[in-house]
Amino acid sequence: MDRLRVIGPVAELEIFTPGTPEEALAAIRAAPEGEVAVLAGGTDLLADLEEERSRARRIVSLRRLPWRTLDWTGPSLSIGSTLPLRALELDPGVRSRLPGLYEAVHAVGSVPLRHRATLGGNLARSAPASDLIPVLLALDAEVELFAAAGVRRLSVDRFVRASRVTAIAPGELIRSIRIPEARPSAFRWQRVRLANDISQLAVAVALSPSDRRWRVAVGGIPPRAIRLAEAATALGTGAPAEAAVRRAGEIAARAVPLVADRRASEEYRRRLIGTLLARAVASALLPREGVG
Amino acid sequence: MTERRLVLTVNGLAASLADVPAGERLLDTLRWRLGLKGTKEGCRTGGCGACTVLVDGESSLSCLTLTHEVDGCAVTTIEAIASDPVGRSVRDAFEREGALQCGYCTPGFVVALTGLLKERGRSAPLEELLDGLQGNLCRCTGYVAIARAVRAAREATA
Repeated sequence: MDRLRVIGPVAELEIFTPGTPEEALAAIRAAPEGEVAVLAGGTDLLADLEEERSRARRIVSLRRLPWRTLDWTGPSLSIGSTLPLRALELDPGVRSRLPGLYEAVHAVGSVPLRHRATLGGNLARSAPASDLIPVLLALDAEVELFAAAGVRRLSVDRFVRASRVTAIAPGELIRSIRIPEARPSAFRWQRVRLANDISQLAVAVALSPSDRRWRVAVGGIPPRAIRLAEAATALGTGAPAEAAVRRAGEIAARAVPLVADRRASEEYRRRLIGTLLARAVASALLPREGVG
Repeated sequence: MTERRLVLTVNGLAASLADVPAGERLLDTLRWRLGLKGTKEGCRTGGCGACTVLVDGESSLSCLTLTHEVDGCAVTTIEAIASDPVGRSVRDAFEREGALQCGYCTPGFVVALTGLLKERGRSAPLEELLDGLQGNLCRCTGYVAIARAVRAAREATA
């Protein structure tokens, strides 16, 4: 027992495991703001607590809430916020109908990490390096927020405000993420290490079967992943010519704010954009059973 | 609520734990409370896979798991992995292929591969198994023998 280590001042940290969303909101409300942390998978939260980036004295765990769901309704998919990423990855429908989402989920951490990590947790955290937010942007995903007064929906684009800043209000929890339609899509990233690493840059693309237009999003940039409307327009409708792909890459490289850090130089990141965009478009156009 | 009693099934036996602090990690509960030191502490941040255990049959990083979060769950560590037929095949494959150097990463590899084989079934392609172990690091870089053991374990369970 002498080597037992615990996070933070032991006596002060408490954990609640409510069984209903209402009880969860009550447990959150009862603690002073800034002193409560909501626990989904915990893959980031535990490090935050240990390194004292979080001042939480109360943890509210969502593991007993009935939100580990995956529901296809026609072409649209609703993903419960506390569903482990691994379940999303192993769903055959996700792999064939939303290949970009599959690729992004598969890129997160490692298999054991994905058994605990959740889409809701990734969105609530909104790290600039998130590999999931770019693909959610390219798929026009919506966040469904649960509150005592009812449910509201807003696009991921509006939900993510800045680095680790979201539009979630006090008294709200992410209940689900809705993707409106199956889309040919792809996610491409570059890293120093294949697994358990942060992408130097990441590009997600999707082609909507309803309006035949592309969506392009770039992640791994400050302060948050963004959609690139002009680059998407340059891709035209349907399968683009090689020159259009190149032009879209050039537009994207000019439009995106980039930094140099220990993972990559600014110039390297700028060059990556066109390369990853071209690879993603080519992959999205590969014939796949059941897409569109 | 923090002081409540937790009941876990660890390696097939009920473990009733009182006064577990909210911030205690499963890794520390296993090693220091239950004396199961086969589960290794590597990076303690989810980056190396050395602390992998099975929670209800699924591989999990015990360094990123609060013990309170697995209340009521079944935890399997390297100490009991061979009581499962798949786990035994994996352990035997690692032994036969000499798939270890210093051995520190071995429990994590054996548990993670057991979880993958059980989750993905007998038909999982070798590439998927190797890909699924990318979160496990061997700092001796003994990957060639580990890959041989993965192939052997897959053939033994197929």
